[in-house]
Amino acid sequence: MTSVPTGDFSEVVTPTRVHRSLYTDPDLFELEMTRIWGQAWIFIGHESQVPNTGDYFTTNINHNIPVVMVRDKSGTVQVLHNRCGHKGAKVVEARSGNARGAFRCSYHGWSYRHDGSLLKVPNEAGYEGTGFDSANPCYSMQPLAQAESYRGFVFATLSPNAPDLKTWMGGARECFDNLCDRAPEGEVEVAGGVLRYEHQCNWKFILENLNDTMHPMVVHESIVKAAESYLDSLPEDAVEQRKEAEIIPPFGASYEKFEASGITGFPFGHHYDGGKTSIHADYSVDPDYHAAMVAAYGEERTREIYAFNTHNVLFYPSLTIKCAVQNIRVIRPISVDRFIVETWSFRLKGAPDSMLQRTLLYSRLINSAMGMVGPDDLEVYRRAQEGLASPSNEWVEFHRQYGKDEQLEDRTVGGGTSDLDMRTQYRAWQAYMEGSIFDKVEQT
Amino acid sequence: MNRERIEEFLYREADLLDRPDLDSWVNLFAENGIYWMPATEDQQDPINHISHIYDDRVMMEIRRRNFIHPRASSKEWEVRCSHVIGNIRVAPVDKDQVTTVTSNQHVVVWYREEQRLYACKVSHRLRIEGEDFKILEKRVDLINPSAPQQSLIIYL
Repeated sequence: MTSVPTGDFSEVVTPTRVHRSLYTDPDLFELEMTRIWGQAWIFIGHESQVPNTGDYFTTNINHNIPVVMVRDKSGTVQVLHNRCGHKGAKVVEARSGNARGAFRCSYHGWSYRHDGSLLKVPNEAGYEGTGFDSANPCYSMQPLAQAESYRGFVFATLSPNAPDLKTWMGGARECFDNLCDRAPEGEVEVAGGVLRYEHQCNWKFILENLNDTMHPMVVHESIVKAAESYLDSLPEDAVEQRKEAEIIPPFGASYEKFEASGITGFPFGHHYDGGKTSIHADYSVDPDYHAAMVAAYGEERTREIYAFNTHNVLFYPSLTIKCAVQNIRVIRPISVDRFIVETWSFRLKGAPDSMLQRTLLYSRLINSAMGMVGPDDLEVYRRAQEGLASPSNEWVEFHRQYGKDEQLEDRTVGGGTSDLDMRTQYRAWQAYMEGSIFDKVEQT
Repeated sequence: MNRERIEEFLYREADLLDRPDLDSWVNLFAENGIYWMPATEDQQDPINHISHIYDDRVMMEIRRRNFIHPRASSKEWEVRCSHVIGNIRVAPVDKDQVTTVTSNQHVVVWYREEQRLYACKVSHRLRIEGEDFKILEKRVDLINPSAPQQSLIIYL
């Protein structure tokens, strides 16, 4: 590819293939940042990160547009452009903190209320009679086109045309419900810090890998074998060691097991694998946690909550969550061959500390740059990034079980080893890129 | 406490990691030994806060086996390190024959056809066992623990 298609992307995306330029072309990347990341609801943060008035958290909504999530005086969580209305400097530089009273630009001292409105311009007399109108919203820290939260998870979009957040999430939002319902108090909060992992490849590789159930038994064979060989070396009574090591072998689950877990796709590119069962289904349940759940929900409802067992849920393109493990990964693109993955962990309110500790153990072993699973995933993404420079085949294929995807009212379902997840996300990719993604959306 | 013997122990440990020879290295740890690389500055809690690594002997045993497995693609690349150790300080030995040794370490890592530099403050909690030592805890505080990190397949 030498140039980016303008209106019609069918020459680079088909139902079963995408062109290799999707991973390698910097112009295409820039367009993705505008058309996908500039239209979709992007995960910004969680309300529990900003509990008090003036608490803020900063990030970029795409590869370079800085935003700040802040709780204003009325208690509302705002998502503002992190840009001074004067000369354009970023107003907030720290990743998180509290802006007592107001945000103040470090260049000329313009200050802003927590809702972004302009509070004060120093030595304002000089503007008298110049036509400058401090009430004009263009001189504020402007709110993004839309911001909403669902069960504490804050999303924002640069597009005024995006449907409301619930409509956009569609049926996949039941995964947020399940994540929160796993807390005896029905709420989660960010806890235990963040891991940030640099990936030297295109951002789409990780999204494709989440529910690619044909890879774990190959990519993670070594760590599974290492854990099994260690488990075999243990004496019968090494109960604690066994319990600790058991977190790893499910990554080598068989094709049959993954097939049974199923994949479900939704409009706008979201998808998950699992539902009734997943590779996380067989982890043992902490008895104190179980008691707290039964006290809160009763035995039957508790069983129902456990039974909804997804592995990875993708909210295309920025967020993937693990309900059963209570961690999330946030995708922050940087360039065509570079992005950051942030792993955040959550405390289930009302659950014993052991649950957060288990979540953190999981994040550490699996998602850390120094973990035992993530580096093998990244290694194969990088090999794909390097291999796709070859012009020998212009296409990347995803035919598995094509034609067998079953269309239900609000979702598509298929076998757990199908490429339904790929077809789902690239259908959305194409619609975002062609500008038709929000056509004919009925708000719920 | 013979400072020279402690320095010699740190150098010997670094040699094993430089090579790297994890099979021998894990044996420097006590049975309840811990390797900890915090994910934030001045981290107090390894259990209720995320770390890059917090390995007991169980995880060290699994990592050690994984490191040499023929099908571990991230480990197909040659990895070699060079530790330089300085600013060594030795705390007094307590009643349990345990001392804490802190040092600054600059570690150059060759991996995936690239040289990388890690700078860290390392603290070893060592139990004196006759002429030798066992590591109760090795804590590695990177100067940039909360920055985005690249894949690291070896202990520093």
